[in-house]
Amino acid sequence: MKPLPIAVISAFAFPRSDKEGFVGAKRSDIGVILAAILLVTLPQVVPATDNPKPESPPAAAEPSVTVIDGAAVRGILGRTVQGADGKDMGRIVDIMVDPAGQARAAIIDFGGFLGVGSRKIAVSWNALHFAGAVKNRDDIKLEATRDQLKTAPEYREGNPVVVIGSTGALEPLDFPPATTPEK
Amino acid sequence: MAADAPQRRGPSVRSTRGLDWFVFFLADVQTGFGPFVAVYLTTEKWTQVEIGLILSVSGLTSLLGQVPGGALVDWARSERLVAGLAVAMIGVSALAYAVWPIFPVVLCAALLHAVSSCVLGPAIAAISLGLVGRSVISQRLGRNARFASIGAGVAAAVMGTFGYLLSSRAVFLVTVALAIPTVLALACIRADDINPDRAHGAIPRTDDKGPSTTSIAVLARNRPLLEFALVVMLFQFANAAMLPLVGSFMTTQSATWAPALIATCMIVPQIVVAAMSPWVGRRAQSWGRRPLLLIAMGALVFRGMLFAFVRDPYLLVIIQVLDGMSAAVLSVLIPLVVVDVTYGSGHFNLAQGFVGTATGLGASVSMVFAGYLSDRFGNEIAFLSLTASAATAFAVVLLMMPETRPQTTHAQE
Repeated sequence: MKPLPIAVISAFAFPRSDKEGFVGAKRSDIGVILAAILLVTLPQVVPATDNPKPESPPAAAEPSVTVIDGAAVRGILGRTVQGADGKDMGRIVDIMVDPAGQARAAIIDFGGFLGVGSRKIAVSWNALHFAGAVKNRDDIKLEATRDQLKTAPEYREGNPVVVIGSTGALEPLDFPPATTPEK
Repeated sequence: MAADAPQRRGPSVRSTRGLDWFVFFLADVQTGFGPFVAVYLTTEKWTQVEIGLILSVSGLTSLLGQVPGGALVDWARSERLVAGLAVAMIGVSALAYAVWPIFPVVLCAALLHAVSSCVLGPAIAAISLGLVGRSVISQRLGRNARFASIGAGVAAAVMGTFGYLLSSRAVFLVTVALAIPTVLALACIRADDINPDRAHGAIPRTDDKGPSTTSIAVLARNRPLLEFALVVMLFQFANAAMLPLVGSFMTTQSATWAPALIATCMIVPQIVVAAMSPWVGRRAQSWGRRPLLLIAMGALVFRGMLFAFVRDPYLLVIIQVLDGMSAAVLSVLIPLVVVDVTYGSGHFNLAQGFVGTATGLGASVSMVFAGYLSDRFGNEIAFLSLTASAATAFAVVLLMMPETRPQTTHAQE
């Protein structure tokens, strides 16, 4: 399948410092979360690699191991998102990454009551703030209100992804991009 | 009503109260497995693909299991034992969800729950029929619908509160706890108050086995049963997708109020069912079945048309009263008409499973169909197509379905 083309979301597409822990993992193909979880669990894996079995080929180099303080990163799948007005906006159910592994959007299950009437909506990664969620187990903060999200089309796999940015505007993530804001 | 009184006194008060509370608590337990599953698994960091898989497997199982479940209840000599085991299995299933939410465990728990549910639907109707007999079964079914509706409403409120204040996991622990009063209520129903022949829709006094050797073949030749199955399938096909469609419409209209409005849209029909179903049970006896079925189908036609054109969210909530009317009629009349058309065959529960399959099939196709139409052509077309199905159901009742109410000499049939 053709990888999803990247759109210019905005000039501030560069990750902020509180997200470096996720992005720096460079395993982001399978999702930022998995990388974070992997890193958190690595300390338990390290002793196993200390005494390699004799049959293991010596060709492969030792994988680099980064140990992150368990309180410095946190998994976010299934966590609730709070809007700019403090209202509940739903839960994060998926994360969209571009071919470079950069997280571009989070899919949140928005609105409805007990699953009736809820829709999956893509919100810009840049509009999400994780500082409180990681440090204090607070909700993830989204720079948008419910009313800004209500008209957003539902996210469907295979269709163009319409991402809600921090201004509340709809930004298609699928027009053919000539330039990608890579560093 | 006094027709079979000489042969047998009515059931004891203890047994009828036991059945009331069994129906009430069972609705509580089942509520825990409704919408909370997806929410809970999401908080447990399950992906949408895995959650979808669990829901599909459990939906498919409860569809395919209906007929075998009914056959099992027909085959069993003690409905109480079957129902008790099924409730226990559901309790175990809820515990598994709460304690160990990993894929293989949850898959097994979902299967266990789906299979148990397939048995419980027929079992309740069988216990009711075995308890009160055919002459007053319509009143009893009306009472069952009332208690089930109140139970589901109370449970949704309690579990919603627990889920909000504590965690989604707490919902499943509450469900486990509620399985205990369910079994206790079941134990209150005296075994010797349930006539096993009546519970299977056989004629109690016959010595010969009659047509009990063949089963599905007999049902397949039962024309009123097939017509009725067609009616409920068309009804569910029209009905099941309506509330979800209205819900998504509300979310796009008023994001702030949508959750409260959708919640109200779900509660209003429950209240109507609780208030109206005993009346339906009495009227089914005095008016007959067809007028009530026509009311149910007509209410659905009317609701579909209103949903297609009304935009005001508060009016949409009021329209849900019609949903309650249809639901009240059908929750009484589905088991009742099945009793009518299969009485004497001894395969009442198998027939219930058959009609249950038709219901489930209509409901599951409905969501896919309406979702597609809504995406491609908009909500009006989706609602009008659903309304067309409801109108077809109305026409089938009007033109084809016979009145199935037994003649007054039913005890001697």
